[in-house]
Amino acid sequence: MMQRSHGFWVEAWRRYRRRPLAMAALAFVALLILVATFAPAIAGTKPVLCRYKGQLYAPCLGYFDRRFEPAIFTKDKFRGTYPRNLAEKDPGSWAIWPLFFQDPYRSVRANEWPGRPENPAMDQGRPSWTNPFGTDQAGVDVLAKMVHGTTVALLVGFVSMGIAGTIGIIVGAIGGYFGGWVDMLTSRLTEIVMCVPTLVLILAILAIIEKPTIWHTMAIIGMTGWTGIARLTRGEFLRLKGSEYVMAARAVGAGPARIMLRHILPNALAPILVPITFGIASAILTESGLSFLGFGPPPPSASWGSILNGARSNLGMWWLVLFPGTAIFLTVLAYNLIGEGLQEATDPRLREARK
Amino acid sequence: MATYLLRRLLLGCVTLAAITCIVYALARNMPGNPLSAQMGEDPSRKITAEDYARMQRAYGLDKSWPEGYLQWAGNLLRGDLGRSITRKQPVTTLIGERIGPTLLVSGSAFVLIWLAAVPLGLYASARSGRMDERATSLLLYALYSFPTFVAALFLQVLFAVWLRGTAWELPLFGMSDLPADASLGPRILDVARHMILPVTCQTYVSLAYDSRFIKATMEEAIRQDYVRTARAKGAGPWRVLFRHAFRNTLIPLVTLLGLSLPALIGGSIIIEQIFTWPGMGRLFFESIRERDYPTIMGLALMFSVLTLLGQLLADVLYCLVDPRVSVA
Repeated sequence: MMQRSHGFWVEAWRRYRRRPLAMAALAFVALLILVATFAPAIAGTKPVLCRYKGQLYAPCLGYFDRRFEPAIFTKDKFRGTYPRNLAEKDPGSWAIWPLFFQDPYRSVRANEWPGRPENPAMDQGRPSWTNPFGTDQAGVDVLAKMVHGTTVALLVGFVSMGIAGTIGIIVGAIGGYFGGWVDMLTSRLTEIVMCVPTLVLILAILAIIEKPTIWHTMAIIGMTGWTGIARLTRGEFLRLKGSEYVMAARAVGAGPARIMLRHILPNALAPILVPITFGIASAILTESGLSFLGFGPPPPSASWGSILNGARSNLGMWWLVLFPGTAIFLTVLAYNLIGEGLQEATDPRLREARK
Repeated sequence: MATYLLRRLLLGCVTLAAITCIVYALARNMPGNPLSAQMGEDPSRKITAEDYARMQRAYGLDKSWPEGYLQWAGNLLRGDLGRSITRKQPVTTLIGERIGPTLLVSGSAFVLIWLAAVPLGLYASARSGRMDERATSLLLYALYSFPTFVAALFLQVLFAVWLRGTAWELPLFGMSDLPADASLGPRILDVARHMILPVTCQTYVSLAYDSRFIKATMEEAIRQDYVRTARAKGAGPWRVLFRHAFRNTLIPLVTLLGLSLPALIGGSIIIEQIFTWPGMGRLFFESIRERDYPTIMGLALMFSVLTLLGQLLADVLYCLVDPRVSVA
């Protein structure tokens, strides 16, 4: 009996797995996803789970959205300070606390956690045992800020490249498949978006939006970052539309939408995924650059770039540069390594050479 | 060739019209205008409502944006880029003032990049797969992923805070600390000292990218039949690398050169902003914040003309270098 040969993606994964650096990068991104998902349980001042007046609550969910914080704590005037209030208002209560008792949005006061000193403010907050990565000018713990900022870094990459990938693939596919004046129009559109300086476009659009949030920033980065993907998709579609299987599909009566989606796109996907991965890296760079320049999401959204912004006015606070700077660098490096691993694993020309 | 060029230029003009129209619409729709942006900064310059209306009329701010755009485009066709509203100077004069400092930094970076990238790329492809090459390539790759603004902050912390008071201390901001009447020798030295950090920041990312690019194209060239032939007839390894392989990678390099044209003249907004370098990128950033429409438009026009020209130049050079490629 003949053994069934492996599919394209199984083969690609096998080749990808042989690259230790690319695998390390993948593990790093997986770690970031874990940190982002469990951020409130890693660093925070709200209990992960507590029993209060005979009922179980999870106040830490308030870090995801303020509405998730149980209303009873607002009614009982906790004002965000849990340890003392829990003990005073219900002596029989118990709580499971986050691994690291520091808040990403405010400074922790003296004795808020029994025996803990107040967070140092201004340029006094060098790294210490209570604040391993130091504190910023307002006394907010940098490690807690970075743990909660991981969500922003990850979302920016995925959401903006999701938007950019969708626009890029649609524009490129239509241009490449139909050709002629349609191609002419889509190519001009791509050229126009390419020529306007990205940062200028982003700054202008952010200024027009009345209350920009992190989601607006992601959408704008996505809407300006699709040109490279569109050009590549167009090239792939131009190349593949003349192939025999496309002609066969057309001969049995498949419509253009079906041919593009079911027949050409799966075969063009591998080379298109590579610029999308590199795009994630550059989207993270753009977002942190914007936050660094002071155009980031307004507080309370914590972004790594906005921590860096605090260091600009006081260069003596080197810890505000070192830790978030390293985090941005490692994340960008990881996505670039994944992109390169993907390229080497899926590009048949490179594959032959490696044999 | 002539018809091709003509067609590309005509298409370019259409693209330019679309780009400038979009940028104008965006700029005019940002909240506030140059007058309110100025007054917001300085309360002592409050003026009456009548004066405000009169000034709006004088600068053409009372018109809707399509009208304003047509007026701007009409003036452009007569060779007039207009006057900056906040700086009270012609836009061309402003650009003329700022282009020198930008070229100083990006030009030096450009020379440094190519002086280092070509040998590095050749070295990497000659020693491909060995330990020392893998280490160098990984280092370059890490550098390529290192954000410029983080690098700039690191350098500032290092040279301005930790090395303060030593001979290694470097100035952080601006282009020169000396008065304008200082003699030429010390002034050149002073500007050079101010240039070190911005030039370093602008050099390292492109250096990493370009040398990797050279290595990638070289690896492609090395696999070609003519390289095997050259080896078979007994040419030495370096001769094969230089005379046979490298000369054939010049085509993609030429394209890369063309595409780097806008960055060379346009400067980098982030680097010039961090080091308060008085160049084009900083002017762009300031003019957006001041809502200085004529300056925004002048700079946007320049950037897009450069980008389009760079693409055209790359395509034309491409078929000049490689006779197999035809333009049509």
